Amino acid sequence: MAAGLGFRPRSTALLVSSLLALMVGGCSLGRVRQAPGTGPGSGNRIDPALSGDGRLLASVLERDGRARLILQDQPGGNLRPLRLRRREPHQSPALSWTGRYVAVLVQEGERRRVVIEDRLRGRLLRLPLQAGSQPERISLAADGSRLAVQMLRQGERRVQVFDLSGLLERDLPAGTAVQGGGPPP
Amino acid sequence: MNRAAAAWRILAPLLPLAGLLLAGGCAGLQPVPLVALNQALEQEESSREPSLAGRWLALISARQGRDRVQLVDLDRGVQLPLPGLNRPDAQPLSVSVDVSGERLAVVRQLQGRTELVLYQRSLGNARPLPITPAGVPRRVHLRADGRQLAVEVSRNGLWQIDLISLP
Repeated sequence: MAAGLGFRPRSTALLVSSLLALMVGGCSLGRVRQAPGTGPGSGNRIDPALSGDGRLLASVLERDGRARLILQDQPGGNLRPLRLRRREPHQSPALSWTGRYVAVLVQEGERRRVVIEDRLRGRLLRLPLQAGSQPERISLAADGSRLAVQMLRQGERRVQVFDLSGLLERDLPAGTAVQGGGPPP
Repeated sequence: MNRAAAAWRILAPLLPLAGLLLAGGCAGLQPVPLVALNQALEQEESSREPSLAGRWLALISARQGRDRVQLVDLDRGVQLPLPGLNRPDAQPLSVSVDVSGERLAVVRQLQGRTELVLYQRSLGNARPLPITPAGVPRRVHLRADGRQLAVEVSRNGLWQIDLISLP
């Protein structure tokens, strides 16, 4: 039948399977694209983290023997300046809702530390953590109120969670109502 | 000498206040551990790959030698069931949760393959997400609103980042 219509059975099967794949893929998820480039030269891009509003992408670029944090606009890819330039290698970045806060692990001598850059106020905050533990991964809640840290201590990996509400102003989506500020007028 | 004595008479009553201010300032610069939660996590054999979003903490923990994905409601201090996600033949590698606690993105090894899946808690359903062009995923991050994924993918010996929009 297929041969009578001028198609070879194998080509028809290939066409049908391709169409099915397209239909299934199209229905199940949206657009897939690669993160914007970082200029000439290749390198590994690892540890992606998106801001809650999706306007910024943080990642670690491994190139020329360095591992440094980069922050890019989405979807354009323009690089945003950061105060966190040294103390490499950088690892495990995390962003708050608008990207006001950038948390990352940095290397200071033999120790790894959690540093949070407040991009609005232009300041760096170094978080003291439990002595004798090496932080390996971090996750910052989108509003900046909590931080989870994966620690390596005596060969065991443990997650610990910290309240940062005394350290950071909350970073909330625009238009979010907040409690406090005195009685209503 | 008389001047010093006079200055001391003025400053001495202020010292306790200065001490309080300093102590308060220093205390405010410390991250405060969530003691009850951290003690509960200590009960696991190990815990790793934390992901915080809103009131939710997702992580991978080991119990009786088996890794599994856990979801904790930090406000209520309880662990939530994830039916259909933790298969005995799967090894989770990375997890990320959205701010509503409805979606979890997981990279896992299953039957010799490494796959990216999107789990919807209300449906109890883990759906594989294809990596196109083909590659091996390692670490995933779900945007807080759950509408986009960033995933680390190995292709041709290089690590790249794919961004996947979700409906």
